[in-house]
Amino acid sequence: MTPPVRIAQLSCGPDYSGVQQEINEAAAAVNGEIFFPDVALKDITRDFASFGLDVRSPDLKLAISRAKALVDGRVDADAVFIATCFRCAEAAIVRNELRRYIHEHSKLPVVSYSFTERTTAGTLLTRMEALTTIARRRALLARETQQGITLGLDSGSATTKAVVMKDNRIIGTGWQPTTEVMKSADEVITHALKEAGIKREEIQAVGTTGYGRFLVGKTIHADLIQEELTVNSKGAVYLADRQHGPATVIDIGGMDNKAISVMDGIPGTFTMGGICAVASGRFLEMTAKRLGVEITELGPLAMKGIGRRVPMNSYCIVFGTQSLVNALATGSTREDVAAAACHSVAEQVFEQQLQEVDIKEPVIMVGGTSLIEGLVFAMGELLKVKIVVPPYSQYIGAVGSALLASGFIKDD
Amino acid sequence: MAKVFIYPATSLILTDMVTRFGHTPLSSAVAIRERIQTAGLESVPLQITPEEPKKGLRWAAVEVPSGVRGRMALYGPMIEECEAAIIINDADMAFGCMGCARTNELIKFLIRQKEIPILDLTYPKDETEGVTFVAAIKRFLSELEVKQ
Amino acid sequence: MTDYQPAHVGTVTKYVVVESFTVTPADLAVRAYEISQGVMIKETCFGLVIMGREEEVNRITNEVRKLDPDHIFVKDRGFPPGDPRRCRANLGGARPGFHGIEYEMTILPYISHALETLATRDAKTVPAPADVRTRPKLDIYTLKKMIDAQEP
Repeated sequence: MTPPVRIAQLSCGPDYSGVQQEINEAAAAVNGEIFFPDVALKDITRDFASFGLDVRSPDLKLAISRAKALVDGRVDADAVFIATCFRCAEAAIVRNELRRYIHEHSKLPVVSYSFTERTTAGTLLTRMEALTTIARRRALLARETQQGITLGLDSGSATTKAVVMKDNRIIGTGWQPTTEVMKSADEVITHALKEAGIKREEIQAVGTTGYGRFLVGKTIHADLIQEELTVNSKGAVYLADRQHGPATVIDIGGMDNKAISVMDGIPGTFTMGGICAVASGRFLEMTAKRLGVEITELGPLAMKGIGRRVPMNSYCIVFGTQSLVNALATGSTREDVAAAACHSVAEQVFEQQLQEVDIKEPVIMVGGTSLIEGLVFAMGELLKVKIVVPPYSQYIGAVGSALLASGFIKDD
Repeated sequence: MAKVFIYPATSLILTDMVTRFGHTPLSSAVAIRERIQTAGLESVPLQITPEEPKKGLRWAAVEVPSGVRGRMALYGPMIEECEAAIIINDADMAFGCMGCARTNELIKFLIRQKEIPILDLTYPKDETEGVTFVAAIKRFLSELEVKQ
Repeated sequence: MTDYQPAHVGTVTKYVVVESFTVTPADLAVRAYEISQGVMIKETCFGLVIMGREEEVNRITNEVRKLDPDHIFVKDRGFPPGDPRRCRANLGGARPGFHGIEYEMTILPYISHALETLATRDAKTVPAPADVRTRPKLDIYTLKKMIDAQEP
């Protein structure tokens, strides 16, 4: 067995919130091992002074010193996990600054998280898996072209997607809402194979990603079962043809959102989550339903409206929906409401998540929601950049999986 | 013997002084010992389970970070139990159980709400201050005996 | 979550920290071993960690302290010696609380000096420390004096 990935923990509060055990378990599940960089009191005093962020909490001073020990190379690590209490302003400042500092001054992958006493190993698992993958499987992630015939499957919370790729081209796709995980997977695979004119046995390697990746991956004997943070980053820069240099990948999903700061196709820092469904594709789905249009029509509708005319900036899907109903009841046009809904989702993602990654162009939006042009437009306005939506962006996870899976084709 | 809350609650010096001069220090170590010697659900490293931040709601509202509430589950009962307190006001380098500044502010506030004898000090910076420091503690603790 | 079954229930653990020119941690250990009965004693860089029944541990710490009373300090510890949850070898670094002790170790010489002094001097004759919570403001006469002193 390969030795575990050494994950340095910089934190304040998890042991007093009762969640250190959960952090350890999430790390262990992906062959990671949490450790605390060793520093002495004199290091803490010196590092705290030289870092220059004058916080009061001693454990945050300790976290700063441990971060400096990693960056200075006094302590070796493969990856960094930064965790502080949710709702602590002082810790949030430190968490952000340390993440930025480590990202800018070292090659260590970093993930930061703010926990509550309800945080579980399950919540942390995808993040830890991405962290260990980036640390351990750089060779796998270095792949830039797809070879042979491969199948990629993305079993997402809202939709299931499949693509068949051959010689660096997408030749078949399948897409449908997720109902029963395996049934949906079977159907999209069948569709993709049919479109590609390929038989199942001709497939040389298979990759799975998304929430259902383990179940589907096991059942269809996937060669690669991989979380969606690294897969989507890879897929995004591949489809957008921006495999070298920096990029920012934004994926507003059905259940959670990902914002990933990428360098040469490999995630550096990322955030995942979203406090409430109002900042996700779900809210747009609800909006479309309320407006009586297909989700595919919501984007064009929004482009005709002016979002500013409708107040909608709630942090909660219930209140968000209420704003929507109120606006319609008081005579707002459907176009304006559609635009306001798109702007509201973009704003929530911007406020809650994009503050935690460094936005570097190109900004690539992927996932099903990237097809809602009103949302892409709203995000572009907020970030003041032109957003890239690559072809096949809704198949991002499946494409990333098919691309990476070709590394597993056996030479006969 | 009076129960004396020490701040920082992790202090070697205050634990020693209070014991040496005949009283019982209430410290973090004792609260942690209670937890790691009690059967329950496993929660490394301190056996503070996610239930503790909920117990902490007695001293801090739900919008207060979980780390503060979890720590208050350790200190709250001790603050209620203590009969006197010694506070070192420049304890900026006490970590772990004393590692959160917001909790520490709340602890000091709750102690000051109680009508008990409190001795406020700072760490001595030289030998002369050392004598003043120890003499003040000795006097404070001997006066507790008289009162009792 | 799995069930937790505690070990060493009903014991206490104490640190004995030595900050002395004449007594070393090894001396402490020798003395402690001589009188130990059913307690666990671990020697560390700063002194000892002793675990056992409270009366026993107290008896030993009191005895050991006699070696150099003004330079030996005792503190409770939550965990038994060598507990993997707190062991540096397992955590990668020192547990956070260690740095607090590290800090107070720098102050122990002043405390030792004070204890020696107060052995022969009544604590009541030592002036009370300045009120640490109210920083006294500079009075105008002192300020005037300082200004005058600065003039050429």
